[in-house]
Amino acid sequence: MTAMAAKQNKSRKTKSKSVQADPIQAAVDYGIDVSALIDNAGRSCSERIKRHQIALNTAEKLWKAREL
Amino acid sequence: MSSDFSNLLERLVKAGVDFVIVGGFAGVVHGCTYVTQDVDICCDFSAANLLALQKALSDLDPVHRMTPGRKKLQLTEQTCGQFKNLYLDTKIGRLDCLSFIDGLGNYDQVKRASSLVEVENIKMCVLSLDALIKAKRAMNRPRDKEAVLQLEAIKKLKNSQ
Repeated sequence: MTAMAAKQNKSRKTKSKSVQADPIQAAVDYGIDVSALIDNAGRSCSERIKRHQIALNTAEKLWKAREL
Repeated sequence: MSSDFSNLLERLVKAGVDFVIVGGFAGVVHGCTYVTQDVDICCDFSAANLLALQKALSDLDPVHRMTPGRKKLQLTEQTCGQFKNLYLDTKIGRLDCLSFIDGLGNYDQVKRASSLVEVENIKMCVLSLDALIKAKRAMNRPRDKEAVLQLEAIKKLKNSQ
């Protein structure tokens, strides 16, 4: 391996390591909607629980729904 | 009847039950975006505390949801010692009561790793973000993987605010 190629390879490895270490990037890579996490970060615990309850109630209605 | 986790937890607080919110619902409190179908709490499994919990749920038809025939919750001072966990169903939602959390330990250790949050003017103990990450890592079920990723991202967002 030439000195230049070795340097480039090292740089790639370092970059890959730093990307892996970033929790935001790791979440994005997994498919998590980080914008929803950011929205939640600006809400109070009460608001988060209320919104969860609304989502759960909707899900429960859908589970109970019958196909027509 | 639909689930109403706030009501369930409020009842426990008002009845003086000693507990910490753990599991998926603790993740929701910290800002996770998934939907969970039950509330997990870690609590003191002393007879006095379990009887207080039973009293708080008494008008909600609590049953042991994992037992054949879904037996009614009928704890007495003598039978309280038989349980390490209680997997309950009530008219307003499922409640899992745990005496030990993987990665953290018993109730006293869990309580030390918790903090107070205020939900509609009621103060409740919830597992701290770091402790929840530790517990979820220890559980290591497939669904815990996404929870850990969300919690780590939330931690980063919190630290950068």
